[in-house]
Amino acid sequence: MNQARIGLLVMAALIAAPSFAHAQKKKKPAAKPAVTAPAVPPSAPPVDAAAAGVAPLPPAQGPTEIDADAPAGATPGEPAAPEGPTPEPGDLGEICKIDPAACPTMNLAEEAKKDLKEQMYAVQQIYALRYHRFEIQPAWNAITMNDQFVSHPGPVAALNFYVTNVLAVGVSGGYYFNNDSKFNFQTRRAARVAVPLTEYQWQAALNFTYVPIYGKFAGFSDFIFHYDAYLVGGVGAISTRPIAVVDPDNRSFNWDKPKIDFNVGIGLRIFFNRWFAGVLEVRDYIFLDKLENTTVFTGQDALNTSNWYGEQKLTNNVQAQLGVSIFLPFAWEYRLAK
Amino acid sequence: MRRFLTVLSVLLGVFASTRATAQEIQLTGPLAGAPAVRQLRLQRQGRVEIAPTVSFTLLDEYQRTILPGGRLTYNLADWLAIGVWGAFGAVKLPTGLTDHIQEVTQIRRSGRPEDGGLPGGEANDYPGDISINNLRTRASIGPQFKDQLGRIDFIVSPQVTLIPFRGKLAIFQKIFVDTDAYVFGGPAIIGLSERKSCEANCGEPDAYGRASRVAVAPSFGLGFNFYLAKFMALGLEWRGIPFAWNTGGFDTRGANPDGRFPDNKVNDDDREFKFNQVLSVNLGFYLPTKPKSSD
Repeated sequence: MNQARIGLLVMAALIAAPSFAHAQKKKKPAAKPAVTAPAVPPSAPPVDAAAAGVAPLPPAQGPTEIDADAPAGATPGEPAAPEGPTPEPGDLGEICKIDPAACPTMNLAEEAKKDLKEQMYAVQQIYALRYHRFEIQPAWNAITMNDQFVSHPGPVAALNFYVTNVLAVGVSGGYYFNNDSKFNFQTRRAARVAVPLTEYQWQAALNFTYVPIYGKFAGFSDFIFHYDAYLVGGVGAISTRPIAVVDPDNRSFNWDKPKIDFNVGIGLRIFFNRWFAGVLEVRDYIFLDKLENTTVFTGQDALNTSNWYGEQKLTNNVQAQLGVSIFLPFAWEYRLAK
Repeated sequence: MRRFLTVLSVLLGVFASTRATAQEIQLTGPLAGAPAVRQLRLQRQGRVEIAPTVSFTLLDEYQRTILPGGRLTYNLADWLAIGVWGAFGAVKLPTGLTDHIQEVTQIRRSGRPEDGGLPGGEANDYPGDISINNLRTRASIGPQFKDQLGRIDFIVSPQVTLIPFRGKLAIFQKIFVDTDAYVFGGPAIIGLSERKSCEANCGEPDAYGRASRVAVAPSFGLGFNFYLAKFMALGLEWRGIPFAWNTGGFDTRGANPDGRFPDNKVNDDDREFKFNQVLSVNLGFYLPTKPKSSD
């Protein structure tokens, strides 16, 4: 009977052991190993952990971080270096014996006592780096924001190259469809007043993009996604022509020679992963437009095309665009450790 | 036998416990149960927001409206709030088109050739010397076009706000602000002044007055809040309020075929459905002034 009690006690201890392990609080991260010696010398080339097929090194005894973007071969949380006993200061002597040139000359114990002046960045590793990456940005001119007479929806596309992480140079272009608002006709019919209307054919531009703002959102406190806001501006050309509404019986306009236009805009980019993002952008295309002449001529003068055009007017074409951004290459390397 | 069963059950318990442990680690990992954000400043939860607002109408045809107002919100949770937004149309600015119509109408009515008008006014025999010599449209333009335009006098909208996204942003890596993005919706009660109804002699000058009415429409939109301090936030929001109204005071519908032609009457048929849009800027003040933090 006593043996049975002892056996039960042993078994109970076996059951309880894993439970204690669960209940045990997580160990606080130990002092950073960098205090004694930097993991990577400042002059060393950056290590592409993703390209090397290994997950980033976890902090010593700290919680393991899962890298969702690590290659399939890498096991999250698996240390990249084999575990072993912590090298003792005496071990350096062995290095000196093997390779005197590699023998450390500094007193590591003294170095360890120095204050650590580690440079901390506000954001240690930006989720989606843009530096030296291409951005392909197809979008749709969804809303014409300042033209209640004619809306100008249509596809647009942009190709940007990020010279730095916050500055890009690129090209963009778009094609327009044009929808004449119903109220134009009603105004003409009721007030006998015609507003010169313009339709657009295409635009193309050379742009500069600056990204001063970035951040992250927690969705329902459950998932996190990153975003940035950018300013864009450039110069290009736009092809337009008047819609004949004053004297449509005699006037028929061809697409004019493209006009120089300037554009400025702001955009919001929400990253779904490190290379794919949704984009909302508002851009103002500014150009000098040639409007239809509001004076009606008779006889041969009505057929003279030089009489068809009236005043020139500085026009703002403000468009809200919805689109996506695809960054290439898909992967990159971080310069600083996490 | 009893001993064997006892030992067996204990062993099964041990193995069962081991399997469960291994599975838990495999399924959830070392961050099991960890919240996405720790020590999150709960900028909204349990707080009242009082926000003066200034709103601007967008894509107006004949008249722009600036509406000062305010928003009162109680945040039930950090992701859910109820409140009311109200504003009144304090400033009305005619568009260039309105100015042009007004000018042309005056010239046509003046009858002075030096103003571009025809001698004696335009050739017509309608009462009040109205400027339109078209039988169909004689009830559309009055002596003062600006006085027949539809106006938004006030808007009151009780609303529910859902705040799914909460985060922060960095500006030039120097300025950091908490921010959230939200959507809202609810009914809107809109006080309007638009051309009064008229069933006969609608071309007469006294038929161009305005009358007030109240419209009810859905109101919805989205916005961003940028928390400048623990008790204050700058907000920007867009709101859509679709409803039908007669913005120009025209007679546009009612006659055959299919009621698409003017009928010389001004009534409900002449209201056009319009997707009215409003852009608002607000400065919100929160009470209590200090937010709580999550675990």
